[in-house]
Amino acid sequence: MSIQTLPAPQQTMGGAARNLRFDPVTRVSGDLAFHASADWSARTVGNAVAMATTFRGYENILAGRDARDAVFVSSRACGVCGTAHSICSALAIEAACGITAPPMGIVARNFLAATECMIDHPSHLFLRAGPDYSEPVVRRTSPELWARAESTAAPNAAVHGFAQISQIMAELTRYSGWLYREALHMTRMAREANVIVGGKYPHPQTITPGGVSSTVDATDFNLTLMRVVKFFDYSRRVVAVWDDLTNFFYNADARFADVGQGPMNFLDAGLWEDPHAVDSILSSPGESRWSKPAAIVDGVLQTSDLREIDAGVEEFIRHSFYDDWGGGSQVYDASGNALPPRNPANKQTLPQPGSADPDGRYSWSTAARWRGHPMETGAQARLWATALAGAGSPAGLVESTGRGVRMSLPSGQMPANLIEWQVPGRWNAFERNRARAYAFAQATLMCYENIVLGLDLARRGGTDVRIFTPYKIPKDGVAATGHWGGARGYVSHHVQLDNRVIENYQIVGPSTFSGSPRDDAGRPGPCEAAVMATPLVTSDAGQSGIDVLRTIRSFDLCMYCASH
Amino acid sequence: MSYEVGDFGGTAKAPSLDGGNVVHVFWLSGMSCDGCSVAMLGAIAPRLEELTLGLIPRVPRVVMHHSMLDEDAGADFMAPFQAAADGSLGEPYVVVVEGSIPDDQSLSGPGHYAAMGTGSDWPSSKGGARHGDQPVKATDWMWALAPGAQACIAIGTCATWGGIPAAAGNITGSMGLTDYLGSSYRSARGIPVVNVPGCAPVGDNFMETLKELLLHFEGHVDLPEFDDIGRPAWMFGETVHRHCMKAGYYEEGVFAHEPGDNECLVEIGCWGPVVQCNITERGAINHLGGCMISGGACIGCTMPGFPDKYSPFYKAPPGSAISGTTSRITGGAIRRLRRISLANGNREPMWENAGEVPSAWGRANPVVPHPAHKINTFFYKKLQYAGTVNHAKRNKKQPLPLSRDILRQKGVDLEASVPVLQEHLVSREEL
Repeated sequence: MSIQTLPAPQQTMGGAARNLRFDPVTRVSGDLAFHASADWSARTVGNAVAMATTFRGYENILAGRDARDAVFVSSRACGVCGTAHSICSALAIEAACGITAPPMGIVARNFLAATECMIDHPSHLFLRAGPDYSEPVVRRTSPELWARAESTAAPNAAVHGFAQISQIMAELTRYSGWLYREALHMTRMAREANVIVGGKYPHPQTITPGGVSSTVDATDFNLTLMRVVKFFDYSRRVVAVWDDLTNFFYNADARFADVGQGPMNFLDAGLWEDPHAVDSILSSPGESRWSKPAAIVDGVLQTSDLREIDAGVEEFIRHSFYDDWGGGSQVYDASGNALPPRNPANKQTLPQPGSADPDGRYSWSTAARWRGHPMETGAQARLWATALAGAGSPAGLVESTGRGVRMSLPSGQMPANLIEWQVPGRWNAFERNRARAYAFAQATLMCYENIVLGLDLARRGGTDVRIFTPYKIPKDGVAATGHWGGARGYVSHHVQLDNRVIENYQIVGPSTFSGSPRDDAGRPGPCEAAVMATPLVTSDAGQSGIDVLRTIRSFDLCMYCASH
Repeated sequence: MSYEVGDFGGTAKAPSLDGGNVVHVFWLSGMSCDGCSVAMLGAIAPRLEELTLGLIPRVPRVVMHHSMLDEDAGADFMAPFQAAADGSLGEPYVVVVEGSIPDDQSLSGPGHYAAMGTGSDWPSSKGGARHGDQPVKATDWMWALAPGAQACIAIGTCATWGGIPAAAGNITGSMGLTDYLGSSYRSARGIPVVNVPGCAPVGDNFMETLKELLLHFEGHVDLPEFDDIGRPAWMFGETVHRHCMKAGYYEEGVFAHEPGDNECLVEIGCWGPVVQCNITERGAINHLGGCMISGGACIGCTMPGFPDKYSPFYKAPPGSAISGTTSRITGGAIRRLRRISLANGNREPMWENAGEVPSAWGRANPVVPHPAHKINTFFYKKLQYAGTVNHAKRNKKQPLPLSRDILRQKGVDLEASVPVLQEHLVSREEL
C-alpha cells in the first residue's frame, strides 16, 4: 500500500499561504484533527478538512450481544452525553418491545437529560470555547482588541458584575479566571444533582428499557431542587456575559459577524417528553416533546415530524475509513415505507483503516446528511427548533414566540426576569455560543420544571408515580429506532433484533452531522464549511488561526459521538 | 525521626526531584470516550484547578497537557510531548492514559485507530518522521513516553483492562495499558503501571492517587500501597457490596423484583457482592449518588472481566441463586425476630407504664404487645442484662409525669373536631 500524504504547505508568490494544522484541535471533545489552508494576504481560508482520528468499534461489539446489553454498552460511546445515549438506546429497545416508560420514569429521564445539558453547556462556554476569548489569548492575537476591551464598559455589568469587557476576558482565563472556576464549580453542582438520580456521571447506571431504576424519594427531590435553584442566577449571568462578549466583537469590527458563518441548517430530535402523553409516544414519536423535533433548512422549518426527519437521514462514507456496506438488510419504517439504503437503519459498520488523504479517506466519522443537506446539531439547533417548531412546558417558563424563545427565570438572589433569544439575522461562531448560553437557561428551567412535576406526581400517587414498565424482548425479528436530544443535540440509535439478540446496531451522534467529512457529492461538513467561509479578521500576528479555532469550537463538537 | 506540622507522616524521605515543584502530566487518549477526563474534571479532592494552580501545600504544581483543556492547539500543543519523548523536557512528568490501547502497531499498512499529532510532531530520536504527515498513533506516544515517566497511570477500565472496546466482537485488538507495555514495564522511578479502574471511574479516586504519587515524588510520603494488579489498595480492597446501603436488605433476604424497587438489587442483575469498588462508600461525587445507592445495579465496571464476564446485564448473577436463597431463609428468620426488637424499641418506657401511645399518629400500634413478643422480650432482656444491671428496669418504678396529657387536663379536646391524617400514615411492611 502506498503511503499518501497530505499536500505540503502551499507556497504562493507572496508566500502568504500557510497550512493551519490543528492536530489535535484542543478543547473539543474527542480526537479531532483539522487541517486548513490559510491565505494570510487575502485573509481567507481555502480548503479545510475535519478528521475524526479515533475509532473504537462499538457497533461491531454490540452485534451478537443480548438485547439487554444495549443500553449500558452503547451509552459508553460518549463520556459526556452518556445519559442521552442511554435514553436513546432504551427508547429503541422500548420501541422494539412495544412499551413506553411510565410518567415518573419519563420525568426522571427528563431531569437527567436537563442536568446533562447543565453540565455540558457551561463546560463548553467556559472550559472549551471560553479561553479563546480570554485575556492571554486576546492579548496575544489582537492587542488592539484588548486595548479596546479595557476601555469598553460592559452593558450587563449589573447582572454579571464585571465593569469592563476586559474584566470578562480576564476572568475567562484558564484555571485562574473566576468565570472558568465558577463553571467548574457549577458543573460539579449539576453533577451532584445528576448522580442523585443517575447513580453516577458520566455513564448513568439507572437508565433501563422500561424507564429508570432510580429509587427517588422526597429527600432526593429536595437535594436536587436545592441545587437546581442555584442555577437561575447563574443562567442570568452566563447569558449576560455572552451577550456582552458577542456585541463587543461586533462593535469592534463588523466582519466578526462573518467568522464561522454558515447556512441556517439545523436538525434536532426534540427533548423532554411530556409525561402525560405516554400513550402517544409510540404512535407519534417526538410530538409530545417540550422542545420539538425539527429539520430547518436556510432558516425555514421543513418538518417537525420525527419519522420524516428519520427517513431523511443518510450516511456517506466516500471520505471515511469504512468499506461500503451495500446489499444489507432492508428496514421499513412504522408506516411500512422502505427506508433509504443509506439510512442508518440499513447501515453496517465495515471499518477499513488507511492513510489519511484529504482527497480520499480522511475521517473515522461518516458524513451524515439530511435530505442531502449538511446540518448543524447541538444546543443551538435545539434553540432554533424550540423557536420555530414550538415549545411547551408544564408551568410555561419556556415559550416559543415563533421567531425566538422567551424564558421566565425565577428569582434567586437576583429578582425574577424574562430573557428572550431571538433568531439572529446572521449565523456565525459568536451566535452559536450566544445561543448555547440561552439554551443553558432553557435546560435549567426544564430541569426545575421536571423536579416540580415529579413532586406533583409523587404527591398525587397512583400509577403515574411508577418509574418502570416491565418489558419482554420479542423473539421474532424486529427493527426499531430511538431518537433523543443530547446536550450536543440529535442522537439516534437503530437496532435490529433477532431471537432477542442484536443483529445490527447503529449509532448516530450529533457530531456525525456537525463534525462530518465531505459526503459523496463533495459537500463539506458544517464545521468544514464554516471554516472555509471564515475571513481571518483578527490581526493574529503569530498566525495562530484564532478565527478558525473559534469557529471550530463554536460547534461544541464531540468526535466520540461522531465516530464510535 | 521527628515530624513537623505539614508533614504527611511518611517514614522514609526519598530524595526530592530536581526542579522540585513542577510536574508535567501528559494525558494520552487511546480509544477513549472522554468519560475519564470528564470524571477527573468533577473531582473535588483535589480539584483540577487546585493542582494546576499549585494551591496544595507540598504538592508540586501540575502542568497539565490535556487536549480537552490546553490553551494551545496543534504543533504548539504537541511540542512538550515531543520534548518529553526526546528527553529534553527538563522537568519530571507523569503519563496518564485514558481509553483502550488498540493493536494498531501491528497494522501492516498505514492507518490508526487512535491518533494525536502528525508525523512532524514525532520526535527525531524515536526513529524519524513516520508516514510523513500522517497522524501519529496514540500507541506510539505511549511506548515512547512511558519509560521516562515518573509514573504511568491508567485511568478508567479501558486503559486499565481494555474495557468495552476490548469486549468480544471488537475488531481493533484492544487491550489495557498493562497488556500493552508488558510485565517488564517500570517507570523511571521503578513503579509499574498504576491502575485506577471504573467506567467511568470516580473522579476523586484518580485525583487522590495522582496527588499521593506527587507527594511521594517530592519525598513527603512512602509510595502508596497497591494490590497485585496495580490498583490503589485502599480504594479497591473491599467489595462494593460491603459498603452498599442496600446490603442490609440482602442480609435480611429482601430483594428488588424490578427496577425501581428499594431493596437489594442482586436479583435484577447486581454483581456488587463480587466486585471491587468503593463507589458506595465514596459516592459518585461529593458522597452523592453511587450506583446502587441511586438504584442502579452494579455491572462490574471496575473489574478486569468487564463487560463480558458480567453480561447479559439485568440478569441475576448465577451465584445469587445460592447466596440469595440462603439469605432468604436465614435472613428472613432474622428479619422477623428483628421486627419484634424494633417494635419494642419503638415504644417509650413511659408508654408501656401508662399503657397507651399518646401520639395520634400511632394509635394503630398496640401498646400492649402480643404474648409471643412478651416471651421473646423476656428472654431477650435476660441475655441483654446478663452479667450487668438491668438499668431499664427502674423505668417501671418511675412515676408518670403529672403534667402528662396536658390538653386533656386543661379540658381541651381536639379529638372530635380535628380528624387524624390517616392517609399520611405509612407502615413499612418489609420492616
